Amino acid sequence: MIETVRVTKAYGREEYGVRDLTMKVEKGEFAFLTGPSGAGKSTLLRLLLLQERPTSGQIVIGDRDLSTLTPNEVQAYRRTVGFVFQDFKLIASKTIFENVAFVLRVLGQPVEQQRRRTYQVPKWVGLQHRHNAYPLELSGGAQQRVAIARALVNEPHIMLADEPTGNLDPDLSLEIMNLFRDINASGTTVLVATHDRELIKWVGRRVIQLDHGQLAGAPGTAS
Amino acid sequence: MTVIGYAFEEALASLRKSGRSALVSIGTIAIAFVTLGGFLLVSVNVQDLLDRWLEAAEISVYLTDTASEADRMSVEAFLKGRPEVVEVEYVSRERALERFRTDFPELADVTGSLSQNPFPSSLEVRLRGDDAGGASAETLAREVTGKTGVADVQFDRAWLSRLIGVVTSARAGAAVVAAILMLGAAFTVGAVVRLSLYARRDELEIMALVGAPFSYIRGPFVVEGLLLGGLGAAVALAVVGVLYYFAGPQFRFLGYGEMAVMLLGGILVGAGAGTLASRAAHR
Repeated sequence: MIETVRVTKAYGREEYGVRDLTMKVEKGEFAFLTGPSGAGKSTLLRLLLLQERPTSGQIVIGDRDLSTLTPNEVQAYRRTVGFVFQDFKLIASKTIFENVAFVLRVLGQPVEQQRRRTYQVPKWVGLQHRHNAYPLELSGGAQQRVAIARALVNEPHIMLADEPTGNLDPDLSLEIMNLFRDINASGTTVLVATHDRELIKWVGRRVIQLDHGQLAGAPGTAS
Repeated sequence: MTVIGYAFEEALASLRKSGRSALVSIGTIAIAFVTLGGFLLVSVNVQDLLDRWLEAAEISVYLTDTASEADRMSVEAFLKGRPEVVEVEYVSRERALERFRTDFPELADVTGSLSQNPFPSSLEVRLRGDDAGGASAETLAREVTGKTGVADVQFDRAWLSRLIGVVTSARAGAAVVAAILMLGAAFTVGAVVRLSLYARRDELEIMALVGAPFSYIRGPFVVEGLLLGGLGAAVALAVVGVLYYFAGPQFRFLGYGEMAVMLLGGILVGAGAGTLASRAAHR
């Protein structure tokens, strides 16, 4: 479960990323975070990933208040969260295999497990034949699938995605959304920030609408 | 894979990539440590020389002409009873004259013209090396002065004490210079590590986001500093070895202890600088 209780992130006196935001995403749920540019979608995801700390309010994941975590506990918490960004954030000098294996390597996983998981996960996202390619040799959609594979490789409980289809055409966007649906079907809580209304309609899941850092209205379900 | 294996693997890869900047860093450390090594080399050889002089350090206790056999025996017994005394040799007036004639044959005419032997008898006291230049020898010289039958006590080792003082000051000065150079070397290592950090900023961002332990995030940079420092010190040791080779065999090379000090010093300076620089890795 992801819960924010009256969370505010202020930048200076008058500027807010999110303001007095209270919302909840249930365990195993798939929800969209939407709103116009500057609505606070990315800020909220950064707060959930603890890239930033809230100015006030509480963020609770499972039964843990994130504000109480020590730096080492923050790292441990992040191991339970997968993330996908609009700009993919792949390491250009590493192959697809190395990009995915990198996560397990820096988490100190045994080499055998690294190899097994790294061969297994790209299959789920349809990239099993491109192991030795470099990110820049791939299309935007394929790069995003690598980023998803990387996010999945450590079996996260929560998947956060910030405009994951922002750089992709509609067909590729649908393909990526299908992947998120599959990930959610396996029990992972998924929260996707997007301003693409068509995509939200197509997937048909609960929508959390933000505007100027606040909830725009009661969360409803897209038709 | 353990964190140590990972850190070494990444640090070596980073050093291979950084090429010239790593070489500059190793060179700077080597210069600092050649200075330290040269200083150590001079220091151990000066110390050897001092030790030899100290070993030969003696006190001459001159006896009065009127001193009886019993007085002499008493003074001799007093000296032999002291722990810092290694040996006491009695030099009679006749032997002293004989010695003078042997040591200064060109003055034979002078001694030949003398109506009587001007040399007093004496007790030559050889002291333990470690005490000769120290306070206990001075105390001994002072104490024996007051004994019956003693005319004068010559303790020429005061200048040796002064020399030791000068050498100690020179050592302190050299240590300060070496410390300043090492500080410079540490800054260079820090700069190279920060360059590596910048080169790997994309990886570091991913590592932070996936929850990599801090030891994995910072470890490679600490090891990189450690390797730069260790390699710099090893190069310096080789250069000092070459310098020693040309200086000649009359000198002594550094012992294992001094070599270990240099290598460990390099490793510690490098690792310290790497540790400080690596703090930026997870900011």
